Amino acid sequence: MPELGRAALIVCLGLAVYAVVAGAIAAWQRRQRLAESAQNAIVASFAAALVGSAVLFTALVQNDFNFVYVADHTSRELPLGYTISAFWGGQEGSLLLWLLILTGFSAVAVLLARRSAPSLLSWTVPILGGVITFFAFMLVAVSSPFATQAAPADGAGLNPSLQNPYMLAHPPMLYLGFVGLTIPFAFAMGALAARRTDELWIVVTRRWTLVAWTFLGFGQLLGAHWAYVEVGWGGYFAWDPVENAALMPWLAATAFLHSVMIQEKRGMLKIWNVVLVIGAFVLALFGTFLTRSGIISSIHSFTESSIGPWFLGFIGIVLAGSILLVLARLPLLRSKTRLESPVSREASFLYNNLLLVAFCLTILWGVLYPILTEALRGEPVTVGPPYYNFFLKAFGLPLLVLMGIGPLIAWRRASLRGLGRTFAWPAAFALACGVILVALGAGSSIPGLVGYTFCAFALASIVLEFVRGTRARHALGSSSWPGAFSSLVARNRRRYGGYIVHVSIVLLAIGIVGSSAYDTISDVQLRPGQSMSVAGYDLRYRGVEESRGANAQEIRAVVDVSRGGEQLGTLRPGKNRYFAEQQVSNEAAIRSDPLNGEDLFLIADQIDGDTVFLRVLVKPLVNVIWIAGFVFLGGAAIALWPDAREQRRLAVRYGRSEALARA
Amino acid sequence: MLAVFLLYTSIAGGTPQLRPSQLNGRTGEITIVGQVVAPVQRSGRTIRFRLKDVEGSSSVRLPVTYTGSVPDMFKVGRDISLKGRLRGGTFLGAPGTLVTKCPSKYSSKKT
Repeated sequence: MPELGRAALIVCLGLAVYAVVAGAIAAWQRRQRLAESAQNAIVASFAAALVGSAVLFTALVQNDFNFVYVADHTSRELPLGYTISAFWGGQEGSLLLWLLILTGFSAVAVLLARRSAPSLLSWTVPILGGVITFFAFMLVAVSSPFATQAAPADGAGLNPSLQNPYMLAHPPMLYLGFVGLTIPFAFAMGALAARRTDELWIVVTRRWTLVAWTFLGFGQLLGAHWAYVEVGWGGYFAWDPVENAALMPWLAATAFLHSVMIQEKRGMLKIWNVVLVIGAFVLALFGTFLTRSGIISSIHSFTESSIGPWFLGFIGIVLAGSILLVLARLPLLRSKTRLESPVSREASFLYNNLLLVAFCLTILWGVLYPILTEALRGEPVTVGPPYYNFFLKAFGLPLLVLMGIGPLIAWRRASLRGLGRTFAWPAAFALACGVILVALGAGSSIPGLVGYTFCAFALASIVLEFVRGTRARHALGSSSWPGAFSSLVARNRRRYGGYIVHVSIVLLAIGIVGSSAYDTISDVQLRPGQSMSVAGYDLRYRGVEESRGANAQEIRAVVDVSRGGEQLGTLRPGKNRYFAEQQVSNEAAIRSDPLNGEDLFLIADQIDGDTVFLRVLVKPLVNVIWIAGFVFLGGAAIALWPDAREQRRLAVRYGRSEALARA
Repeated sequence: MLAVFLLYTSIAGGTPQLRPSQLNGRTGEITIVGQVVAPVQRSGRTIRFRLKDVEGSSSVRLPVTYTGSVPDMFKVGRDISLKGRLRGGTFLGAPGTLVTKCPSKYSSKKT
């Protein structure tokens, strides 16, 4: 079995190398048959990766401890679900998952583009092949998941904090996102190499970028929720280098999704778009490198593994190659049009891009700061959450306002007076919200108050946009208001899906502001029978309970919760002692209020005999963050939904240039 | 852009990250990174232990006192990082800043 896995990976590597060499020769000499053969090699490499993955999967499910990887990451006691998730629980397995998704995406993208944009494929195929070559080479020569040994009696087990349903979904989602960014990158480079500087590569890869970006965004929210319920320190995001590693490419991709619209509508920002797509892809590689190299100390860090230098080398090659290519094509990328006014739709997109990229660079600077200071001063200096939080406010709050302004402002040139008329209602609504919030006591946090006022403004202008659009459709003769609304969204899915994503970002902001600016934290030592009060809740500690679970001893502090005399139930924060792994993990207890989205979050920091050191957090509106995740998915799904009308329009628009390119 | 970050980091300042052997009586706020050496004494929420360099042959054993929540993974032989200051030869950790680093997060065998 391991031989089959190894052989499959070697075949995959061979196919990828062939795709690079044959694809490049075919593109150079315009040989159609050879080009098709290189395309087929990409598709076949997916089959090879699939075989390799099936071998590892089977070994995991069968507890085949002859595989070093299986013995290191599972045990006989481990439930089946987590045995499967051990596939991406370790370095070799996650690299294999990278390869599997990468070859799968590449194969589908190549097959689709054969029909819609064959002229783009000639140089895209060798570039895809190059990326596949790197990952296949890593798996064959540097970090093989198919190393064998004499089977031990039992495996080492999976890290307890990974034994959580979220770990079934969170890592693969991030990988889908990271890897997905390869496709727009490869098409952008392929278009440049083929001297095609129109928007075809953007149109062809729009859905790929959206899919990757959606997975990356939702995957991060899942990770945040995992940290919140499982790691049990009471937060969901800590600006840890590895969390930042996923956030940076998402921010770059967000900027890219917006700026390509300017290129499609007005033919501007061509160089900027290419730079953004390179940036997003390189940041995705850098993110994988960060998590895997151990170069930056973080709670997530892994052993200083052998793959770090390889990744760094590959990132260097990608960066150097793409920058050289952009420089070589610079004369072709000059814009036909210029920005006409600093008050226009284009300009607001540009500001949004600058803010997103600035925030992305902020995070990059923070992540790299320890490395830079160590090189310059001999000792690493780290920047903590205050640094990131400062810039989150500095760049995030203007972004919220722009999100309100952008959709309503006119293209090309908008008059300031018109602007005043358009935004009178949202501004008035925001001010009214601000006043009401102060009356309710939200003035205790100024950033919180400002954040909420801005949220209200953005939300009001999005609603206004929907109202206007629905009215217009109704006036055009839609029979009913709901009918007018749904035909509005259906006729322009990309636009209104985007607005729904905006709503989710506002919800996210509401949740973050509520749970960080208005939370209550208190630490208390309790003996059985003792009580405490915090933020309106009364907690009474009954005593300790112990029970034996499937693979852990479960110790729980039993706490009765009431508010204003009304019983709200019993919470059981505690600790699990895992048998096989010989580790302890904190099990926080959470009570969510469905009415106001508030959480009561209990952590049993320490249990000495029957004394418990309890940490109590009250986090208002934190559940709005998780709701935002679903709204985000909904909006993205609408924007992604196939639109026959749009396809026809694009076919007409690009069909002619496609025929020219082939001639 | 870069200038803004530089300005911010030089004014608000980051926290230097040092090994026990690099401390040399510095009293400013720093993050110490080291390996936990036995014995670990607990009294209520306060723990006392010593830290040595993770790598190298330095014989420095820095006494540490810390009060606050202790991560699940904390034990002798683990690498940790802790923010705080040196006071009278003992490193006083700030509550809630104790972070354990697992040498390898996903394979517990090698720890």
